[in-house]
Amino acid sequence: MPFEYAGIDLPIRDTTISSHRMSWEVIARPGRWWTGAERVEIARVGRAARDFDAVRSEMLPDSAVYAIQKLVVDNANLNRDWYQEIISSEGMTEDRYVELVAVVVHALSIDEFHRALDLDLEPLPDPLPGQPSRIRPPEAEQRYSWPAIVPKGGLNPGDEMLYGPMEWGANVISALSLIPENVRWLHDLSEGHYLSFKEMRMPDPLRAISRPQIELIAARVSSLNECFY
Amino acid sequence: MLRESSQQTGALDNLNLQGTVNPEADTGVPHGNLLTAFAEAAVQQTDALPGLGEQIVAELGVQELVDAAGVVANFQRMVRIADGCGIPLDEFTKDATDDCREELGLHEYASAANTA
Repeated sequence: MPFEYAGIDLPIRDTTISSHRMSWEVIARPGRWWTGAERVEIARVGRAARDFDAVRSEMLPDSAVYAIQKLVVDNANLNRDWYQEIISSEGMTEDRYVELVAVVVHALSIDEFHRALDLDLEPLPDPLPGQPSRIRPPEAEQRYSWPAIVPKGGLNPGDEMLYGPMEWGANVISALSLIPENVRWLHDLSEGHYLSFKEMRMPDPLRAISRPQIELIAARVSSLNECFY
Repeated sequence: MLRESSQQTGALDNLNLQGTVNPEADTGVPHGNLLTAFAEAAVQQTDALPGLGEQIVAELGVQELVDAAGVVANFQRMVRIADGCGIPLDEFTKDATDDCREELGLHEYASAANTA
């Protein structure tokens, strides 16, 4: 089983471990627009980019590899023109881009947790067989962000509460919702690393560091990444 | 969120937001400089990272180190979602941060263009 953390003298929370395992399962499965093998390859390329290793892939379109590299190491300099160029490239679409971003950033986040604690990176999962479903939610609409997003009614059953009272959710929560499964993934890894959406409304969530300390770290990471949002 | 959480915990009077963009500045958050130094070393993958981790364990505790690492990991993800999807600030955030964005120089960031 992955993420055993055997022999590690650190109190890794159960929610963290379960969110890591879930993420590895999600990455390994066929998605809506990429196969499991392609999704694992996306994670591998992202890992290589973060380690400044040579980034290339015989499996992914060149524009996908380029997008992964930009997302990982040059995210402060993305813009709408760049996005349009990527999704118009051979082998890419808006839907495939959104799925790619989700795999890249969730895999990166887990790797970053390991790097911050000076732990070895977990071997990437073995991909599962099968074909992508190629289902685009009919509720998807172009709103304020570059890719289309879905409203509460387009989320998977049981996930509607993840948008809170908002029909379209907060912008960062709905950003990857063109693949509705991403909203649940976003939440579950947030709970494992930071706070659940419910805990975000609590001034003093059950963490070892205080809420201002949590938000200070968050703000500093955002600042270092030159992220306006 | 930092300002809001500081307000809720009664620590707002001592808060200096400059510490979020300037590592030399003291935010007023307890152990804030150590935690931001850790975040910086983690994001930039510098050799200082293990030592800062040890310092957090010594001054705060080992669970605190693990939780701090989780926050770093989470926001390494969130910023890329925001930047990779070109999302604008939510209206409620825009209104609440009007006064400090200019002061902190956030409009200099390329991703500021995503917010009209």
